[in-house]
Amino acid sequence: MSEIEYTPRELLACVAARMIQDGESVFVGTGLPLVGALLAQKLHAPNMMAIYESGTIDPKPAQLPWSVSDPWTCHKAAIILSMTSVFGHSRAGYADVGFLGGAQIDMYGNINATCIGPYDKPMVRLTGSGGANDIASLCRKVIFMGLHLPQRFPERCDYITTPGFLGGPGEREKAGLVGGGPWRVLSHLGVMGFDEETCRMKLISYHPGVTPEVIQEFTGFEMIIPDDVVETPKPTAEELRILREEVDPNKLFVF
Amino acid sequence: MSHANDRLFDHKLAREWKLKKSRAEKDKVMDLKEAIATFVEDGDSIIETGFAYVRGPLAAYWEIGRQKKKNLVGIFTPGGLNSVWHENGGMEGAHVAYVGVEMRGLISPFRRGVENGTLKIYSEWSHGGLALALRAAEQGLNFVACKSMLGTDIIKSNPYIKVVDDPWTGEPVCLVPAIYPDLAIFHVHHADKFGNSRIWGVSVNDTAIAIAARKVVVTCERIVGSEDIRSNPHQVIIPHYCVDAVCEVPYGAWPGDMPGLYYFDRRLQERVVREFWKTPEGTKEWIEKYIYGTENHYEMIAMAAEEENMHVLDYVKRLEQLACEAAYYNLGYWGVGGERDWRYEEVAKKAI
Repeated sequence: MSEIEYTPRELLACVAARMIQDGESVFVGTGLPLVGALLAQKLHAPNMMAIYESGTIDPKPAQLPWSVSDPWTCHKAAIILSMTSVFGHSRAGYADVGFLGGAQIDMYGNINATCIGPYDKPMVRLTGSGGANDIASLCRKVIFMGLHLPQRFPERCDYITTPGFLGGPGEREKAGLVGGGPWRVLSHLGVMGFDEETCRMKLISYHPGVTPEVIQEFTGFEMIIPDDVVETPKPTAEELRILREEVDPNKLFVF
Repeated sequence: MSHANDRLFDHKLAREWKLKKSRAEKDKVMDLKEAIATFVEDGDSIIETGFAYVRGPLAAYWEIGRQKKKNLVGIFTPGGLNSVWHENGGMEGAHVAYVGVEMRGLISPFRRGVENGTLKIYSEWSHGGLALALRAAEQGLNFVACKSMLGTDIIKSNPYIKVVDDPWTGEPVCLVPAIYPDLAIFHVHHADKFGNSRIWGVSVNDTAIAIAARKVVVTCERIVGSEDIRSNPHQVIIPHYCVDAVCEVPYGAWPGDMPGLYYFDRRLQERVVREFWKTPEGTKEWIEKYIYGTENHYEMIAMAAEEENMHVLDYVKRLEQLACEAAYYNLGYWGVGGERDWRYEEVAKKAI
């Protein structure tokens, strides 16, 4: 059998899709998280339900939305509500997975989307929280997607916009947060999770062509590397076919 | 005159103002220029509506630039396009939940202003937190207790919110006070001449904002009869009594998106935020050419079309066709009275 060819973004879309289980409700952001969610829906999670912070719940977009407020996010939605309602539903317990991005994620899964450098005199001012803080505060679990570079994976974020495990074990509960916090980190190098005892980021799998050593080299803190780390399973022919033919045929996000 | 921030959480002032507003259904139709001149005052806090570039009142924002309003305070949830005015004195500070255009990146003038200290950030919020502050104002609550923003640096960079223990459970909760912006401008699909406004798509925070804000300007794609609007009150998101002015501004969300009518001009938006606004000089040139160099919104649209080497009617038609594919024919939410009964040709004849 000949080797299946795929691009790095296609791998990420497929790995993201595998993280979503059937029947889960998912807060999706634009881009790869959205592609991953729609791919999951067409593969193993037909009952996945998307939630958009702009207010639409469980739409059936016939075309990839360009933005979380794109009119396609309203297409055949179960209901369209206000922003406070969708976050309210999350607090009530109706939101399972939050898919987030950001400029930095630290060893405890805290995310920075506000500034690089000191807040009062930033080197780079970023967008600010948007709905990310609410999603990570209220959802059952959070998946982070981003580029894996030492400055993007620092020991401590320059600014905590979005709560991970804050300073370590027990801190989420102490702060009064209701959601479960970070669950997976999907980078262009591997898949990470969090150690149950220390709440620190740990490697789960490295993508084909990458090694645990490379991941450590591109991480700004000491990554926990358990003995049982494996290579991320490559995309299957079926995953790639659905992705290319049905989810993103115009290669808007996955190319 | 007090600073906008001193008025922002003053529920007594907000109430006194609204007690004086007329409940009578009066004809509030006026020209956009007149509405901006009358209701946008230097130093006002202005809150963004819609969802950034989806149903954002961009024609009104460009007119604010044309009229060189000074020292506005932005409330960005989400959005931030008005931050472009800070480099010519149009905006002095902001309360921020999100400024950017998602996949299309950061808004350079905002970034620059914060980095070099010329644009002050007065408070940092999450979308949900700021939405609740607006909702509190709409629901008549002094504050709400929520579970957002806890444990993060947002708490430290927002002087208006407080963390206390819930008196029932003892758990920490974040208290968010009701917020009352000076001014809100909305762009809607249809409004009657009294201000009752109807939309398709997401309303986001708009109903709460309409009640919270002291001054409300509605721009719409089309002014329709009151009977038409009242035939389906479910789609009304803004009631007449909070509206001060109604302006008919077709394509008023351009180059943003108007659900079901026209799609956003993605290429133009990318060029604006990534190229034209990338440097202070570029921003200045852009303002000179597109804002000061045009009389109105339609001249601006014509200018954009020219740069694409397209006739303005073809340019607009392209955006409408994209919307047709994306929204118009296929969306289930296109409701009562939703027949599009005008074309850019008519608008252009009137406006250019």
